[in-house]
Amino acid sequence: MVEFQTIQQRGFHNTYDENGEIDGFEFRFVPKYYKGYWFTQCRFGNVTVDGEVFDRDSLIFEYDGIEYTREEMFDLNKYWQFREPLIYKIKKKGGLSIGYHDVSLQFGWVLNYNGSLEAEPDGSGLGNMAHMFGVDHQRKMLLCR
Amino acid sequence: MDTKLGHPRRGICLYSYHNLLGKSMTLEDAFLEMYDTGASCFEFLTSYIPNYPNPTPEWIDKYWRLCDKYKLQPSELGHWAENHLHRGPGMTDDDVVEELKQDFRLANLLGFKALRTKITCTNVLCDPEPGWQSYIEKALPYAEKYDVRMQNEVHLPTTLHTPHIKDEYLDFIHRTKTEHFGFNIDFGTFQYRAAKGMEDMPMCHFEDITKPEEIVDFLPYSYACHAKFTYVNENFVEETIPYPEVIKLMIDNGWSGDLLSEYEGAIRFFAEEGPAQFGQAMVEIPEQVRRHQIMLRNILGY
Repeated sequence: MVEFQTIQQRGFHNTYDENGEIDGFEFRFVPKYYKGYWFTQCRFGNVTVDGEVFDRDSLIFEYDGIEYTREEMFDLNKYWQFREPLIYKIKKKGGLSIGYHDVSLQFGWVLNYNGSLEAEPDGSGLGNMAHMFGVDHQRKMLLCR
Repeated sequence: MDTKLGHPRRGICLYSYHNLLGKSMTLEDAFLEMYDTGASCFEFLTSYIPNYPNPTPEWIDKYWRLCDKYKLQPSELGHWAENHLHRGPGMTDDDVVEELKQDFRLANLLGFKALRTKITCTNVLCDPEPGWQSYIEKALPYAEKYDVRMQNEVHLPTTLHTPHIKDEYLDFIHRTKTEHFGFNIDFGTFQYRAAKGMEDMPMCHFEDITKPEEIVDFLPYSYACHAKFTYVNENFVEETIPYPEVIKLMIDNGWSGDLLSEYEGAIRFFAEEGPAQFGQAMVEIPEQVRRHQIMLRNILGY
């Protein structure tokens, strides 16, 4: 079972390097769509935390114990199982402070259903389903460690 | 024409519960819900098969145990004939056929005779991307081998008189003489006005809809239909779709396929927005499906 929100608070915490220093933070994301996706259909956007933008190409995504960049996702022959969280790992020296944080991200996908084909065939956009389901996700989350 | 009265089965699309699945409802919870309604069959989606496209033998055993325990039979498996899974130009026909074969095998393994096969569309009317006939025709021998029937969904705002339905899909069926391609006629195509709470939603255009009598010519090519609904009132009436009229036409014309309750109320768009909305979804979705099943029972008489 996952939380009902797309951005999951469960799993939201700072991360540590090999020396025990905080080097960033991570959280989990579960799309609200009614089905799963092949990762090649997914279009990942930037993450913003308290106004600070983390570029989509600086993000590391962990799925099934393996880390990928956004670019690597385009060639990943793997199915993102329905209701299976994807871990977003973000590098930030010192991490986030204990307390509340406004976390938002953009996520879209390509599915050829009741709309036009993807306008950006190179995958640079946010797919072709925004007209029905939007691409923006945000949540205020409480960080404890 | 076969004038023997039809005897459709009552079923449910698991999709109806999608906002809740994996959040407040397990797969077994959903089976129990469906059992409670008296439905006898169900539509599943490939996405609801854990570890798709390679389910474990343990899960397959569990699935059949659930079907047995809750006396529910597989009806239709929803899947996608995706041909744009990668950046750049579309996939080759052979790649799409491999994708289809994979789902045919799964459908066969899980007991589904019908498929809701989503072919790539290029606009809101679901006009298919040119060239679809090529990979679907190549897939027909495999559909026969695995005993499954691909069904194109006719979904609002598409009507049964939208040109591609006759000019492309029906033409394909007649040309190939196949029994493995047809139509899932979504009852939303008969909807004549917006449901309560959905008046301002962008998909609500009812200037051109399917008339009930249009369904008759398509029944020989339909094995399961999405019994779409957006709101069933406390008297068990769907106020925006002429259910009694359409079902009577189906029965009078000998149709014995599956009517699969598919709930698409407004709540599906905002269930994740906050605790109040999700709480509403937890109550409203199962209740609406139950109401719809009572409505179908009242119309069918069983």
